[in-house]
Amino acid sequence: MTPTFASFFTWLETTPVARLIAESLLVTASLSAIHLIGFTLVTGGALVANLRLLGVLLHQRAITEVTGAASRGIAVGLAISVATGLLMFSSRAASVSANSTFQVKMVLLLAAAAFHFILHRAVTQRADVTVPVLRATGALGLALWLGVALAGCAFILFE
Amino acid sequence: MTILGICEWLEATAIAVLIRESLYGFSIVVATHILGITLSVGTLLWADLRMLDISMRGYRLSEVYRGLAPWFVSGFGVMILSGAILFAAFATSAYGNLYFRIKMVAIALAGLNALIYHVAGRLPTELFDAARTPTAARIAGLTSIVLWGAVIVAGRMISYTMF
Repeated sequence: MTPTFASFFTWLETTPVARLIAESLLVTASLSAIHLIGFTLVTGGALVANLRLLGVLLHQRAITEVTGAASRGIAVGLAISVATGLLMFSSRAASVSANSTFQVKMVLLLAAAAFHFILHRAVTQRADVTVPVLRATGALGLALWLGVALAGCAFILFE
Repeated sequence: MTILGICEWLEATAIAVLIRESLYGFSIVVATHILGITLSVGTLLWADLRMLDISMRGYRLSEVYRGLAPWFVSGFGVMILSGAILFAAFATSAYGNLYFRIKMVAIALAGLNALIYHVAGRLPTELFDAARTPTAARIAGLTSIVLWGAVIVAGRMISYTMF
């Protein structure tokens, strides 16, 4: 960790909002609960979007029709989880940012979100994509979001 | 035998002892439980959103419901099984925990809501496939979202208050 980041995270912990969260178990637990609700939206959307590409869910329907709705769910869920996640992060920024499980979780989250909103979207919006490509996209998408979920669980349990 | 007596007996079973004493047993079951919730509630949510005409309006409700059912049903299976194992391991403290009690009541109500909807929805298919979802079905969808949200919140509170 570079000194600039380290001092920024230390400063972040001293802000009034961060201290309020750090000092109240009820606030922390409530944020954590809302964080999980957001993530349930994300996972549900990710499941629907990727299982459709794998051809095992709502396969009678056009791909864009299913993935469009699911992607909006992912976006709303991400907004909820990122907002609550940032608040929780602020209360323990210095220690959490140095935690390797947290770092893995963030890398997987960025990878999964980038994959979904760039590659997954590009694949679903093209008409000339072959079935193997669709399947591979669905499988990779599922694997990435599952990775985020597992890293999230590991962070709760082993931090 | 009292409920507390049953809890004590559960905590003494081999599986409960295994979960409490093994290094990773507890973590693996908790992770499975959380994944089960996201799989079940995460997919059921889309049927509820369809009932409320918020998402997937171009679909027949029966189509969304039947397409998603295998996923949320298996998710519920995973969640209940892993939850039962966790309960056995910490039965007496769970029994005394307020959030655990709230969670059980919310699950029971969510199950009742689903049962009523299922029985009512089976009779006239219009209830399933009307262009605009009937009010009764909308109430069922909203009730489901609220109750499962409460289950998730209470579940998260348990882990902050029980251990």
